[in-house]
Amino acid sequence: MHALFNLAVGPLAWLAFALFILGSAYRLMAMRALALKKDASFVAYISWPHALKSLAHWITPFGALGWRENPGVTVVTFAFHICLFLVPLFLMGHIALFDAFHGWSWPALPDTVADTLSIVVVAACLYFLWRRIAVPEVRFITRTHDWLVLALVGATFLTGVLAYHRIGDNLFMTTLHILCGEAMLVAIPFTRLSHMLFGFFSRGYIASEFGSVRHAKDW
Amino acid sequence: MKRTPLIPLALLLLVAAVFLAVPAMSQQDMTTVPTEGFKQTTRLPAVFAHDAHNEKAALADCSACHHGEKDGKRDNSADTSGIPCSDCHSAQAKPGKTPLMRAFHRQCMGCHMDKQKGPVTCGDCHEPAPKK
Ligand code: HEC
Ligand code: HEC
Ligand code: HEC
Ligand code: HEC
Ligand code: HEM
Ligand code: HEM
Repeated sequence: MHALFNLAVGPLAWLAFALFILGSAYRLMAMRALALKKDASFVAYISWPHALKSLAHWITPFGALGWRENPGVTVVTFAFHICLFLVPLFLMGHIALFDAFHGWSWPALPDTVADTLSIVVVAACLYFLWRRIAVPEVRFITRTHDWLVLALVGATFLTGVLAYHRIGDNLFMTTLHILCGEAMLVAIPFTRLSHMLFGFFSRGYIASEFGSVRHAKDW
Repeated sequence: MKRTPLIPLALLLLVAAVFLAVPAMSQQDMTTVPTEGFKQTTRLPAVFAHDAHNEKAALADCSACHHGEKDGKRDNSADTSGIPCSDCHSAQAKPGKTPLMRAFHRQCMGCHMDKQKGPVTCGDCHEPAPKK
């Protein structure tokens, strides 16, 4: 177990961060090349003012019609994503490791706050899971891929919470958590989680068409 | 009925003995790493039964942990046993110096990871000390 832990916090962590960053860069560049090849005439018409205005609406809870349609989903989706970014970046457990291994340190959230926000993420994953099973129009468009991605995020946060509360063998749980977290990082550029990379561009594209061509709002 | 002054006196002595013995006993066997060097703590103090640990881990050389300082550099040949780490490593980082939490984590976790023995996860060190 110690050997696996050492591997997970050492070489595998490097590999995961490298694949995440380089993979994201590669995917963005490949997509740019594809867009220029297939749709160059439209790329020329991308309108920053329309794109940014639309993005401002879409990143605001209830700022777009799409967000007003289904308030429950909207609240959960925003809570989920805010916690998803806040927790890993400002968690003492992560900062202490960067501090010990690299001498980097920055302010952390209080442990109980981070713990609560993590539980919010786990609950949100359960909600998404329930929705994919119980709501027919969502189940209909659900593919294996969607389960996998949801499981990856859910498992990372659940094992993290269990490790923090010292439930189960701590070395096992922590190692499992780290491996899940690394798998999730690698999955961002290569799975549906790439909506983090492409979401802004899809929105900007749609907004440009709505704004410049149809003279309509897309929010 | 006349009471002898002996009983209250004996009781007084007993109470005094207990008050003196408790700190003396806790001084003798350290069960957790002292946290005095931190302004405030957020975790349970790390489990560390000093003598039992060093016996089990076969650490005869005190300076494996209690190193000294020479010209602002670490001096591994000096033995500073008994001097708290926080005398030289303050909780707040001065540039180029090792702050207290990092000093502990590097020393404790570092050796455990090298030897692949002993606790390496947060919850295996910052946990309630076993009762004796
Ligand atoms: C594994 C690391 C380690 C080794 C090896 C070690 N110590 Fe310590 N010792 C500590 C730590 C950590 C403290 C707590 C320091 C503090 O208060 O900041 C401590 C505290 C002490 C104290 C003062 C606290 C007390 O009341 O017990 C004495 C005395 C001491 N050590 C003596 C020794 C001697 C003698 C040896 C060699 C036989 C030794 N140590 C070996 C880690 C170690
Ligand atoms: C007499 C002063 C002194 C005492 C006491 C002392 N240290 Fe140090 N220590 C230093 C100096 C000086 C350095 C090198 C400069 C630096 O990193 O701050 C150092 C470096 C270190 C490093 C290396 C950091 C690195 O970058 O690799 C660790 C780990 C460490 N100390 C842990 C401890 C622990 C744990 C204790 C208590 C058991 C302790 N020190 C007690 C003076 C001291
Ligand atoms: C130079 C190496 C070394 C250093 C430094 C060191 N340890 Fe250890 N520690 C060990 C080894 C080896 C073991 C495993 C002993 C065994 O189980 O055989 C161990 C085991 C432990 C255990 C489990 C004890 C048990 O009963 O199973 C604890 C708790 C622990 N260390 C805490 C600490 C803390 C806290 C520090 C820092 C103050 C520290 N150690 C520094 C080598 C080290
Ligand atoms: C090998 C044992 C060990 C491991 C593993 C370890 N620590 Fe520590 N930690 C210590 C010691 C020793 C101290 C200094 C005094 C104390 O708390 O007992 C300390 C201090 C701290 C402090 C500062 C004091 C406080 O309570 O606020 C924090 C925060 C902390 N550790 C968090 C963590 C986190 C998060 C992890 C997991 C990434 C972790 N530690 C892993 C031994 C360990
Ligand atoms: C390189 C990979 C990673 C490493 C080495 C790592 C390490 C750790 C460690 C050691 C803990 C235990 C903290 C404690 O006991 O306080 C922890 C907790 C946690 N981690 Fe990670 N982690 C990694 C990746 C991730 C990722 C990618 C996420 C999510 C996006 C994540 C989310 C969490 C959460 C939610 C907790 C529990 C927080 C709590 O309940 O207080 N981790 N992590
Ligand atoms: C800036 C970055 C991001 C933006 C703007 C964003 C935006 C969105 C949006 C708009 C949805 C749709 C909500 C719905 O369909 O109900 C969504 C769903 C989701 N996001 Fe993100 N996201 C981002 C980053 C991430 C990251 C980094 C992860 C995980 C690592 C993630 C995981 C998920 C999951 C799992 C879902 C779907 C839940 C489900 O319906 O099954 N997101 N995101």
